[in-house]
Amino acid sequence: MSTHPLVELAQRLVPAHVVDGTLDSSDGRLDALRREGLREFVRMGIPTTRHEEWKYTNLFPFIGLDYTYVPVRWSEGAPTADARTTMTEVASALGRHISIRIVDGVVEADLKHVPVGVEVLELTSEIVESNQDVARTLGSGAPIGSHPFAALNTALLESGILIRLRSGVKCELPIHVSVETTANASTLIAPRMLIIAEEGAEADIIHSSHTSGDATVLDATVVEASVAPSAHIRYYKIADDSDASRSISSVTADVHRDATFTSHALSIGGRFVRNDLAIRLCEPSSQGFLYGVSLLSHNEYTDNHTVVDHMVPHCHSEELYKGIYDGSSTGVFNGKIYVRPQAQKTTAYQSNHTLLLSSKAQVQAKPQLEIWADDVKCSHGATMGQVDEEAIFYFRSRGIDEATAKALLTYAFVSEVAEKISLAGLRELVMRRIARRLSAESILA
Amino acid sequence: MTPLLQITNLHASIEDREILKGIDLSVNAGEVHAIMGPNGSGKSTLASVLAGREDYTVTEGSVLFNGKELMELSPEERSREGLFLAFQYPVEIPGVSTANFVKTAVNESRKHRGQEPLEPAAFLSLMRERMALVEMDPSFLQRSLNEGFSGGEKKRNEIFQMAMLDPVLAVLDETDSGLDIDALRIVASGVNALRRADNATIVITHYQRLLDHIVPDFVHVLWNGRIVKSGDKSLALELEQRGYDWLKQESAVEA
Ligand SMILES: Nc1ncnc2c1ncn2[C@@H]1O[C@H](COP(=O)(O)OP(=O)(O)O)[C@@H](O)[C@H]1O
Ligand SMILES: [Mg+2]
Repeated sequence: MSTHPLVELAQRLVPAHVVDGTLDSSDGRLDALRREGLREFVRMGIPTTRHEEWKYTNLFPFIGLDYTYVPVRWSEGAPTADARTTMTEVASALGRHISIRIVDGVVEADLKHVPVGVEVLELTSEIVESNQDVARTLGSGAPIGSHPFAALNTALLESGILIRLRSGVKCELPIHVSVETTANASTLIAPRMLIIAEEGAEADIIHSSHTSGDATVLDATVVEASVAPSAHIRYYKIADDSDASRSISSVTADVHRDATFTSHALSIGGRFVRNDLAIRLCEPSSQGFLYGVSLLSHNEYTDNHTVVDHMVPHCHSEELYKGIYDGSSTGVFNGKIYVRPQAQKTTAYQSNHTLLLSSKAQVQAKPQLEIWADDVKCSHGATMGQVDEEAIFYFRSRGIDEATAKALLTYAFVSEVAEKISLAGLRELVMRRIARRLSAESILA
Repeated sequence: MTPLLQITNLHASIEDREILKGIDLSVNAGEVHAIMGPNGSGKSTLASVLAGREDYTVTEGSVLFNGKELMELSPEERSREGLFLAFQYPVEIPGVSTANFVKTAVNESRKHRGQEPLEPAAFLSLMRERMALVEMDPSFLQRSLNEGFSGGEKKRNEIFQMAMLDPVLAVLDETDSGLDIDALRIVASGVNALRRADNATIVITHYQRLLDHIVPDFVHVLWNGRIVKSGDKSLALELEQRGYDWLKQESAVEA
């Protein structure tokens, strides 16, 4: 069997000294990780739809393109390239914030307003070597051995973004990391982010991706978060891409005693989005909240694979995903909850609701609860439906046209999960997109 | 004077079953018409056909509303032209607040008339004023439309919406059903307060008691898809005493 072009590309991109692991001084933790990433990527190769975890995720149409890799690099000074994407809309929805842009691979961080105790650093070999916490966390969450694209990202890991929140620091300003790519030729990017929240720290981190241009952008993102006791991280992953993007991401979080990790997966644009999110509740009284909104139309595809791992007793998780599928779009939801034998007194709730706006739209939903403890409260629920015709007629009989009625009903459908978005501007952005998608912007007046 | 509403030989069916079998009715501005009739006679069907429910097929006849052929207009256009249907069974809409719903509806018809949307403050005070007409508590504005409302609250909400939209012709479908006597009085006084020389009301009911409060100029009896008898308000009293059977016999003889 011939080697897949993407595997070949990865092999070409990883330098020989990394591959061979020659024992010179440069062979540190980062190189070892890269070597492992490459090895695993080569071993797993490209998953096909025969693979259970990739059953509905058909990579075939784009995975064999001739990609050029655009690495992440930190700039001296500000090149301020204007990617002309939807980024500005997200940025303005956030109001005052800390901005870190990765524009066609070049990192521009505006760190003037970063409060004391909030560190935004380039993730380099030196940083890994000289910071034990970084060395310990990097690569400890990402599913390098099971997720081919997390392995690919790791193989290519030379530079990335480290956000470290020092003990007790509550970052008032949201931190926005935007990945903006304008491609004229098929482009591979592999952004990497490491979030370390020390004890009692708190922050909102918004991670959005934006593409423009006609050529395909394959985005293999990996985010790892470590949330120390009593820390609270709210992480928003916004896919606001164009038709050109193919986004495959892995986000993991380890949550410790009395800490919370809240994730919002907001897919409001993009041809192809595959999000893998895994939250490990590793100390008692830790909590995970997983929320998602997928607003799809045309032939868009969004696939949310989530895992919540209750490893210890007395943890709580809550999951609520809502999908609105129009056109001939497809939404996939796969939600796993593991409750380990020792994880007594677990409470874990999952629900996934779908609103189909067109008869050609499709949904695949699969809850998977694996519970080995007996003193637990777990539930899951899924619904799927169309907009209620009776309701539409009621609206119309009051002078409200069908598009507006649908938009209002869709709003109503989404509001339960949108209300969980604590940043008002972002919540409004989601609602605005719904209105725009359903050609009913008049309701925003 | 051209009538506000002119229904001529209206036939309508659902799933190939004819429900309305030739209705003729004309309603002038300033009038209140009552349509009575036993269950299943086609009263709600008539209301639905007027409002434009798409489940029904109009097979024959015409309906002129303010000189326009109603059947050529979409349900929303009918509403914007000033037709209002108070539903027999108002729909519960979780997640859409009463205020937002009413605001959207009112602004749509203002837009239709070339008016600017109302300022939020003006809108709120208008809503409060119109809610008072049907003694509805302003707290309902923030609640999801009709969700968990009692039967009476839903009907009052219908009349509140009517008051907000200020229709030229209101069709009230069994607005009295499920109301206790106090609620009935409240709803009726709301409707009466909205009566003017330039609008009209069609009250669908199968009990006389609502008509003690909303006094009709004309009473029509619908039976088996046809208006089998018309008269003044004394007809309603007669029906109350004698029931519908004598009419069924009469019309059976005619048929
Ligand atoms: N959606 C429908 N499908 C089939 N039959 C219907 C439907 N709606 C009404 N009908 C029938 O039409 C007739 C008239 O019903 P309706 O107009 O509701 O009467 P009323 O309001 O006078 O009680 C009844 O026989 C009823 O069963
Ligand atoms: Mg009826």
